[in-house]
Amino acid sequence: MKNIKFLFALWKANLQAALEFRAAFLTQIIFMMINNGAYFMFWFLYFDKFKNVRGWTLQDMMLLYGIAATAWGLAAYFFGHFTTLGEVIANGRLDYYLSLPKPVLLHVLASKSLGSGMGDVIYGIGSFILSGYLSWDGFLRYVLGVLAGVCIFISFLTIIQSLSFWLGNTVALSQIALSALLTFSLYPSALFNSATKFVLLTIIPAALVGTVPAEFVRSFTWSSLLQMSAGALIFLVLAVSMFRSGLRRYESGSAIQVEV
Amino acid sequence: MTAIEVNQLTRAFQSKRKAAGLAASARALFQPEYNTVEAVRGISFRMEAGELLGFIGPNGAGKSTTIKMLTGILHPSSGGARVLGFTPWKEREKLAFQIGTVFGQRPQLWYHLPAIDTFLLFGKIYELDDRETQKRIDLLAEAFEIRDLLETPVRKLSLGQRMRCEVAASLLHRPKLILLDEPSIGLDVVAKQHIRDAIRRMNQEEGVGVLLTSHDAGDLEALCKRVIIVNHGQIVYEDKVSNLKRKHLTTKLVEVRYAEEVPANFRLDGVEILKVGRYGVKLRFDTDQTAVDSVLAHLSGVGELVDITISDPPLEEVIAKIYREAAPASS
Repeated sequence: MKNIKFLFALWKANLQAALEFRAAFLTQIIFMMINNGAYFMFWFLYFDKFKNVRGWTLQDMMLLYGIAATAWGLAAYFFGHFTTLGEVIANGRLDYYLSLPKPVLLHVLASKSLGSGMGDVIYGIGSFILSGYLSWDGFLRYVLGVLAGVCIFISFLTIIQSLSFWLGNTVALSQIALSALLTFSLYPSALFNSATKFVLLTIIPAALVGTVPAEFVRSFTWSSLLQMSAGALIFLVLAVSMFRSGLRRYESGSAIQVEV
Repeated sequence: MTAIEVNQLTRAFQSKRKAAGLAASARALFQPEYNTVEAVRGISFRMEAGELLGFIGPNGAGKSTTIKMLTGILHPSSGGARVLGFTPWKEREKLAFQIGTVFGQRPQLWYHLPAIDTFLLFGKIYELDDRETQKRIDLLAEAFEIRDLLETPVRKLSLGQRMRCEVAASLLHRPKLILLDEPSIGLDVVAKQHIRDAIRRMNQEEGVGVLLTSHDAGDLEALCKRVIIVNHGQIVYEDKVSNLKRKHLTTKLVEVRYAEEVPANFRLDGVEILKVGRYGVKLRFDTDQTAVDSVLAHLSGVGELVDITISDPPLEEVIAKIYREAAPASS
């Protein structure tokens, strides 16, 4: 409970810091929504020519984008350091978090907020509503799918970037991993063969933030629910364990830094 | 009661070694070579509760690494330490509730927000209730004279103003001990004085212990009762500041001005003449080798004295001498 209060206080401070530069904050949100819309134009053009792609219709793609965008947006807005954790570790900037009495990983991740994430969230919710799957139970499944997605996005990138404790700089590696995760999450797994599907459920868990939650919203199955929740839990446990074990090797640094 | 107990604490880092040039870079890709550098080499010391202890040394001496181990930021390579009864790297969160830290080069105040917002956030981090947080902010605002600064975004504060807010923030949760790593770095004389006064006051009023690392001998003189000097990762000197002065400040600097001209061949046995002017002389002597009264008697015999100043050399010189003396043995 105390950590929840602490998280709300951090998020409040992040919002206050963002509102110091209101115009930049609002611009990021608006442009991210436009960016996502422009990206989705491809599917409008595609489904204008074809009725479906291996059983997936335009509505299903809107649902897939809605879930992935909302999950990514929530992760970016509330746990914004999940894309830059490797730099924080490599540059010795964990000192600040280690000197305060809170769980380090949670504290680092939630200490940064990417304003553009709110644009993704708004776009994602809009895309879900327009997909036609909005109902009481559909909404509940959407929320569960999004939460699993948030967990997978953050955990996967935490695992990759925790390698910084051993390898030093992992900026390029995490960018490749991030790009692979995002790209594959926006395509239905039905397009791929079984080996690729297996990779997308394990090594690059893109299916767990895209296809699996979307299928779960389309129709409830225990198998989808199990895949989502087990995947989220396993990746979360791996991320926390890897970060903790890396922390023992943390070497700090003497670079000058500021907390923004 | 013991606040800090350190026993044979050691921390080694591995650093990559590579010769200059592209060929060496390519070689290092397949056959990397590493050096092991011992930043802290088996240091042991104790600090009592409420004590003001100076921990000084030149760059790279191991001061910050030691502080980071004592706060649980770094794990040691070997050795042990107890801080307020906790092993820092094993009980970091529990310890953090009891101590405050300030890293001069690592601000903890949120840069774009007014300091008051970070204070309120720290209230939540340290699990204080809102009324207690407000009471502490009022007290610290008065002690550090920062009331007028609290609502200004931190990015718009001067370095001195910001450091006062930083130190105040570290005391918000009423810690039993604060560890200050170079709190006066880059500050002007007035700003340093402000911070020293406030720290001394919090030590006297709340009994908070202070472990202070600094390059600045002024911090040591103004604040600390005891000093530990480290160099090359080892303790090279440990004593009361008053003893440091008594044992090492044996050299006196004397400046004399006369009513009439000083003879050009002015000489004095056992005294180093630094400068002979037309109406004055500047000299230095060691009180262990030359008696003060004999020097003064001789000086007054030369002519009618108009003015005389006797001073100790700066403490910085004494400390630099201790570094130099320790260097050959420990290098």
